[in-house]
Amino acid sequence: MSRKHDVNKEIENEVYCGTLPVLPKERKYGFMDALLVLSGYCIATWSYTQGSYLATLVGFKQLLIGAFLAAIFMLMVYQLPVIMSVRYGIDIWIWLRSVFGPKGNKIVTIIIILVNFPWYAVCCELFADSMENLLGLFGIQLFNGAHLVLSLSCVIVGTIIALRGVGTITWTTRILVPLLLLVGVAVVVVGFTSVPMDVIWNYQPQLAGDADKTVNYVLNIEANFAFVITLVGGMAEVPRLCKSEKSGYYAGVLGQGAAGSFFVVVGAVMAIAMQYVTGQMVDDPTLMMATLSAPILGLSSLLLVAFANIGTQAVGSYIYGVMLKSTFKKISYKTLVLVLGVYVALLCVWGKITEYFGSFLTIGACVYAPLAALLFVDFFLIRKQKIDLKSAYELPGHNAYQYSKGFNIVGIICLALGFGFTLLIYDPIQGIIHNKILFMLTPTLASFIFTGVLYLLLSKIPGIRRYIRRDTYASPDKRPFDRAKVPPRQNIFFLPLMWLLCKMAVSPYKLKVDKHNMEGIKPPFLVYGSHNSFMDFYVTPLALKPYRANYISELEGFENFGEWIYRQAGCLGTRKFINDQSLIRNIARVIKRGDIMVIYPEARYANVGTNSHLTPSIAKLAKMLKVPVVTLNMQGNYLQQPIWNLKERKGARLHADLKCVVTAEEIGKLSVDEILGRISKELTYDEYKYQLENKIVINDEWRAEGLHYPLYKCRKCGKDFAMTSSGSRITCKHCGDSYEMDEYGQLHSLSGETIHIPDWYEWQRGFVHEEIREGRYKLDIPVRIEALPNAVNFVDCGIGRLIQDNEGFSLEFDNYRTEKHETLKFPAKSMVSLHTEYDYRGKYGPCVTLSTYDDTFFIYPTEESRDVFNPTKIQFATEFLGGLYS
Amino acid sequence: MNSENELESRIDEVLKAEKENKIPRMTKQDYIIAAVITAVSLLGIIGGFFL
Repeated sequence: MSRKHDVNKEIENEVYCGTLPVLPKERKYGFMDALLVLSGYCIATWSYTQGSYLATLVGFKQLLIGAFLAAIFMLMVYQLPVIMSVRYGIDIWIWLRSVFGPKGNKIVTIIIILVNFPWYAVCCELFADSMENLLGLFGIQLFNGAHLVLSLSCVIVGTIIALRGVGTITWTTRILVPLLLLVGVAVVVVGFTSVPMDVIWNYQPQLAGDADKTVNYVLNIEANFAFVITLVGGMAEVPRLCKSEKSGYYAGVLGQGAAGSFFVVVGAVMAIAMQYVTGQMVDDPTLMMATLSAPILGLSSLLLVAFANIGTQAVGSYIYGVMLKSTFKKISYKTLVLVLGVYVALLCVWGKITEYFGSFLTIGACVYAPLAALLFVDFFLIRKQKIDLKSAYELPGHNAYQYSKGFNIVGIICLALGFGFTLLIYDPIQGIIHNKILFMLTPTLASFIFTGVLYLLLSKIPGIRRYIRRDTYASPDKRPFDRAKVPPRQNIFFLPLMWLLCKMAVSPYKLKVDKHNMEGIKPPFLVYGSHNSFMDFYVTPLALKPYRANYISELEGFENFGEWIYRQAGCLGTRKFINDQSLIRNIARVIKRGDIMVIYPEARYANVGTNSHLTPSIAKLAKMLKVPVVTLNMQGNYLQQPIWNLKERKGARLHADLKCVVTAEEIGKLSVDEILGRISKELTYDEYKYQLENKIVINDEWRAEGLHYPLYKCRKCGKDFAMTSSGSRITCKHCGDSYEMDEYGQLHSLSGETIHIPDWYEWQRGFVHEEIREGRYKLDIPVRIEALPNAVNFVDCGIGRLIQDNEGFSLEFDNYRTEKHETLKFPAKSMVSLHTEYDYRGKYGPCVTLSTYDDTFFIYPTEESRDVFNPTKIQFATEFLGGLYS
Repeated sequence: MNSENELESRIDEVLKAEKENKIPRMTKQDYIIAAVITAVSLLGIIGGFFL
């Protein structure tokens, strides 16, 4: 077995083990272990470069604040998500698959390496500087280009070590960390003993005439923010090995914020001391020791620093090589390390990485700051500290994080905008401040805040929230919707926008509103409207203009469009067919404060464009509120978008009648039956009759598609669930009987018979009543259940069983609230009807819903029950058993 | 396939451990301490403007 094969195998094993979740029993690190490992990673010769860079900006006291407090402040915030690494035993790159998608994460990995790897070019430059300076002290002059040769030799030797694999790297690390500590100790001793203490303590940089001290202080803070934030990439592997969240978190904070920062300060002390002695500021510890102590100490330190730089380069190549290998599994580790080596070599050839150290730091932070913000917000505020690990690892059948072909567009856009936002504040290459106010926050912190807020706000938009939270089942929000919350008045500033939107929605359908008996009728009053389609919500505000109103809406609408928008539109959230006393109280509040309360008393869209029976409770409510009752009968809304096929029919024409049916004077005098009679009379409608009488042509070729949902029983052979529809035809799959839907909505059989759709619909109802009366009706089927507890998300309850008989509904399922398999009972007499959907949101298929006070259960058929699950028949049975048709 | 099975069983074990809080969580007190340290650091940074 060859050596090469061994390395590849080792690396593959490393990659495999390096990405697996670490089990609790496998955790190795307590706080001190993790602290030492992370400190070792943070201590590198680039700390001296950072220290001397800071010393060019600010005095020693401000430098101390920056190195320690700024580093700790940033670390305290952005290290918080490492508790996720500890909890799940994974590194942040696995988590980031949920933020960017698996393919998006690959791109981010490449970007991270591009902005991070210049650190290693800094090491190579330092190595070359050390060699040159020291040889210079001994009077040896090097040829032109020797600097490049020296820096490239550091790249080459480091790459060769990295190519030798895990064992060599382990030994390198074991030697490297003590060596760096040794160099650090030597620098501290020499630095503090060679110049008086007050020289360092009272140090102030010699600034150019136009330099702004405040700007320099901000740059100092920024450099420290950037310094700690850009090191996170290489440190991501450690917290997953920690035994507790606290140890992982504080080890990360102190590893960088204390140990790493200490060496930055050491670098600054060295630079200040050198400037005091020689008048020249350097970041090379070798040169300092040779100058400030003795050449022999410089020679000794040369060997230490040389090896330290080569070792750091080797360890860096290894860490990022493994990271790349876990992302690009098909490319060999050797190739990846060579590519990294070439990248560093090119930076060395460019030769200006030290000169542009501050720029490169900020550019790195431009990427890391939004990245850290996304991770923070995603972990704490969006996914609420839960992740679907199986999707993160792309196990078969777990696709929550596939988003758009493997890319989470929202995460990627936020990252790009966060990056751009930093550049809008500050140009790190030219050093130009574009926005001084935001610059005071530092570009890194401003970008962190901007990206975090942007991502959070976007996640509040329902469509985007559903896109990024495809894993809600992993951490659903289970808090019940607050039905008792006092509804706000319809937002007065929102109203013109709403009218405009409504106007735009109805304009293709030429809405005409006729008002009857409305003279002198002013709010407060109660409006009962017919309910045909979503178009009702556009027509109603226009009919009630110029007044604002409140509307009762099923919670599902809140989830679909967002609670904030629904509240601004004046909606009161409730669940259908429950005895909601909170709703009654809120209706009374709306009336009491002088507004219009709009109720759609049928509580469901018309299945075939005809009204449902109304219950006396609506008349009792009117009597209780003692305000005028207005009816709004809308025609054409159903024709425009029937519930069984949500495609819009452009030929539809809208008309609405707004009529005061009970005045304030009459409300106290009329009986409940009289009031109900008046309302029912005005809310009686037949959309197909309206279409025929008004010769409204709807000639879309697909006009009958979906009609088999409400018309499920064959008129000829009498078989249930036998109908199917296509184009403009509805056909029985069993006997072949077929009907053509004409342009006026009438059905015609092949034998020339004409059928009015509502007649067919009601004809079916009679059979269901008969089945129930004869005791033959029983539904007992497997179903898929999703609960809607609030306006935020659905909760997957898996597969259960729906039973409907003369007693009502029984729903057997794994109740997510109690975490037990339970049966919920919905007594027949408690429900006068049932909410049904034929193709929920145009993609989820047919369903019915059952509600408790805290949950609405959306019940879908399984593959097994698909052929016998028909919402219309279930609704017929519910209405009969509930007493609506008795 | 074996590695996939191992991964799945590990994930199940990790999730079980998470549910049972086998890895000690950050407590409310820990978060409060973290918030205090963060606030003190921020105050120090602001104070640095006046040096």
